Amino acid sequence: MTSRRRFLGYGAFMAAATPSAEALAQAVSGTSQFAASGLVGTLNGAVQSAAIPTKFAEAPQLAELVKAGKLPPVDQRIPSEPLVLKPLDEIGKYGGTWRRAFIGPSDGENGNRIMATDKLLFWDVTGSKIVPGVARAWDLSKDGKTTTLTLRKGMKWGDGSPFTADDFIFWYEDLYQNKDIVPAPIPDMSAGGKPGRMVKIDDVTVQFQFDSPNYLFPSLLAGDTLIGGGQAVRQSTGNTYAAYAPAKYLKQFLPKYSSEAEVTRRAKEAGFESWVRALHVKKDWQLNPELPTLGPWRTVRPINTPTWTMERNPYFYVVDTSGNQLPYIDSIVMTLAEDIEVVNLRAMAGEYDLQERHIDLQKLPVILENRDRGKYDVHLDLAYNGADTTLHVNLDHRADPVVGKLLKTADFRRALSMGIDRDQMNDTFWLGLGTPGSSAPAEAMPESPGPEWRDKWSKLDIAQANKLLDGLGLTKKDSQGFRLRPDNGQRLIIQLLAVKSFMDWPKHAEMISQHWRKIGIYGDVKEAERGLAFQRAMTGDHHVFVWTNGGTELLYLYPTWALPTDVTSGVYGIEYARWYASNGAQGTKPEDPLLLKVLEMLKSGNGMEQEARDKNAQEIWKIMVDQQFSIGTVGQSPALMGVRLASRRLANIPSRACIAQHCRTPGTSHPETWFFKT
Amino acid sequence: MIAFVIRRLLLGLVTVWLISVLSFAIIQLPPGDFVSAYIAQQAASGSPVSAEAADAMRQEYGLGRPFYVQYGKWLGRILHGNLGESMEWRRPVSEVIGDRIWLTLLLSFAALVITWGLALPIGIYSAVRQYSWGDYLFTLVGFIGIAVPNFLLALIVMYFAFRLFGASVGGLFSSEMMLAPWGWPKFWDLMKHLPLPAIILALGGTAQLIRIMRANLLDELRRPYVVTARAKGLSETKVILKYPVRAALNPFASNIAYLFPYLVSGSIIISIVLGLPTVGPLLVKALVAQDMFLAGAIVLLLGVMTVIGTFISDLVLMWVEPRLRHQMD
Repeated sequence: MTSRRRFLGYGAFMAAATPSAEALAQAVSGTSQFAASGLVGTLNGAVQSAAIPTKFAEAPQLAELVKAGKLPPVDQRIPSEPLVLKPLDEIGKYGGTWRRAFIGPSDGENGNRIMATDKLLFWDVTGSKIVPGVARAWDLSKDGKTTTLTLRKGMKWGDGSPFTADDFIFWYEDLYQNKDIVPAPIPDMSAGGKPGRMVKIDDVTVQFQFDSPNYLFPSLLAGDTLIGGGQAVRQSTGNTYAAYAPAKYLKQFLPKYSSEAEVTRRAKEAGFESWVRALHVKKDWQLNPELPTLGPWRTVRPINTPTWTMERNPYFYVVDTSGNQLPYIDSIVMTLAEDIEVVNLRAMAGEYDLQERHIDLQKLPVILENRDRGKYDVHLDLAYNGADTTLHVNLDHRADPVVGKLLKTADFRRALSMGIDRDQMNDTFWLGLGTPGSSAPAEAMPESPGPEWRDKWSKLDIAQANKLLDGLGLTKKDSQGFRLRPDNGQRLIIQLLAVKSFMDWPKHAEMISQHWRKIGIYGDVKEAERGLAFQRAMTGDHHVFVWTNGGTELLYLYPTWALPTDVTSGVYGIEYARWYASNGAQGTKPEDPLLLKVLEMLKSGNGMEQEARDKNAQEIWKIMVDQQFSIGTVGQSPALMGVRLASRRLANIPSRACIAQHCRTPGTSHPETWFFKT
Repeated sequence: MIAFVIRRLLLGLVTVWLISVLSFAIIQLPPGDFVSAYIAQQAASGSPVSAEAADAMRQEYGLGRPFYVQYGKWLGRILHGNLGESMEWRRPVSEVIGDRIWLTLLLSFAALVITWGLALPIGIYSAVRQYSWGDYLFTLVGFIGIAVPNFLLALIVMYFAFRLFGASVGGLFSSEMMLAPWGWPKFWDLMKHLPLPAIILALGGTAQLIRIMRANLLDELRRPYVVTARAKGLSETKVILKYPVRAALNPFASNIAYLFPYLVSGSIIISIVLGLPTVGPLLVKALVAQDMFLAGAIVLLLGVMTVIGTFISDLVLMWVEPRLRHQMD
């Protein structure tokens, strides 16, 4: 295993990395050993270009429609200032069908992520710099209270109707503020505890105004957040966020524009229980082929059929540097696979053209073996979050006061962390491709507290762990060497609640429980179905929840898997999260002064400018790692969506893609610039 | 006898009603509901669902109501022929099942034809030529067939298909044909994909039926009436086929009761392993996601099919077994 790790040369990556904003790009350019393996390349992909081509071209079948008079010419379909992408290697040619797998109607993210160019702002290929998307430009006022978005003149929805500031105001007034549709305001739309406003300046200018400084807002717009996620993800599966919506099309389903009786009647006629149900289906791009969208493709056969099919959006607002309207690929056909194993087998048989979702890292040897037969290349994309397997400690466990008190004790958590043999976990579950360490993000991320915090309390040290546990008075042991509870002399049991999901976390937990024998801690793995596990976490009677900490590499955007902030997730204590989210109005105030301090620091981040904010995050991480609120194991690996199989017929495929929540994998790789060579 | 049939019919209806109560109750048993499963799934993909939004969803689906109210509404709708909307698929349940039911029926039926087509002749042969070389061979194959779970067989077949031909088994259509409208090319494509899963599905059952047929027939062959028939000079074929085989068929007739639900669900595990778009995997997913209208409809459908199957098997038994008919009169 060691040899394979050396073969991938992960050390070089670490050494070259320094925690600064541009570091990511630099870090990967110095990874020659990675490149030598041929599996982990350099972060690259399509980049934006400022020069707007003077002539435009389109796909042959669209040209025919134009000739037949069924479609306006291409220069009238794209905005006067289209987004220009310089494809990775070469200007592509039109045609082909991208074959891909999905695993059912709950796998909507599979398609949402491919449509990520419908986001207002986005990230470049390194995932570290905000770039324009649907909005041509953004401006954050000096005081941080106003963010102004400039839209693209002449931009159109997929049905040819104009896309303007009115589509934003429609979303804000008619959807977001309608309690029947959006029951509660979202945190993204408030700063300093007070809700902000959306204002139309003119047809192509929209302003978000807040009463307190909100320097974070552009990042929220670029991130995979409720406000910035884009229409595809945030207006599907019953959600109604994303800041804009196709006003002209959706008005027919709202009572405001006819009457409640009328829309209800029409909904019932179409077989829906209520007009709200009808609206949720009609505004869902996965379900409704009629819905006007902004993304590169649009649904022609909905997700709830055995083949979720998409074809090109003739009004897509992005062109290449030669003026060819994107996407190059005509259509996407996703075939329903009943099982993840089937996805992997078919992928190895070369039946998918590009698949990174649902590919199992542990099958890598077989995947590599079949490269030539399946005619695909394999790329490994490494994540930036600290740990794919993280022990999220319930800091507010009440059901068992003795366990609750221990879980609240930093030394106890530190001992648990030092009792884990991360190298063995890495070799067994990550094939040695991960990086062992704490829950802190990769050094390349601007919010990283520095390399020493990757190791702090996070290296196997049985003696030190035992010393800490003895120091807590847990000195009595039973005949099998497990420590006893101080109250009733029974064995002390720490439950590990684990779900088989993106990884086989119950197995990981089993291994940790084996490691803990050496420090006399009995780890009891409780495997649960996903829904049940999350529900148990909401009631707060779990001890430790095993899950990834993906997303925490951008702490302000996705703190859910690092601190008790999210009222929909109770892993760190639901009452604490309620307290934080309600600004102290509800829930319970944490007693731990350091936990209070980091929550306070997190909240203040909105009002700080970039540099100060990154510094602040680093300080937060230092405290979180020192306190071990979450115990990291192994991360920065390709385990979650990072094993990418790309057909050799495809071109412009990045050698390494950003895999992270905010990068909308494979969104920042711009699938619309990929094409079939043959 | 008419009275007997009518009584069975009425009892069947009561059973169907009980099944509906039971299936609805079972689906409600696990803690949580569709909304909590949905929240977990959304959380997993990084999009939180607010408590208010969750409440609104529960309201929409009527999940907060007491059991009997939910059941009453469900039953009322079903009596009007409306199976409700699948929460996960966001489509009417009848459409979701309808997508798959024909392929499921086709596959199960093909498997059934293979099972019976192989099991009956082989079973008869094994009994008549007991302890012959052929009997030993079929016994060996039969025991392997019974002992090897067919999902394992499916895996082995998939492995070799992949190793030797570089093809992934699984699914009933090639990817090019998946989208094509129905026509001869698509039908031909289906016919090419059908035999393998059908044979895998059939094998386990075949082995079992061979053993049953052989044992039953052996019992019958020792009866005095067979000796009498031979003594009367009937040809050997006639001796065997006319009486003992017919008597040995009884267990097959009573087996029909189990065949009916199987026809509509297909084998769940094999379907999952082979990636077949049948009703079986749909049920599993519906149960995991707590999609209660879909799961309820499928469980009810299976129950109803069992009742119908039992009824038909009663009729068939009366037809093949004169002794039963006489008891009734």
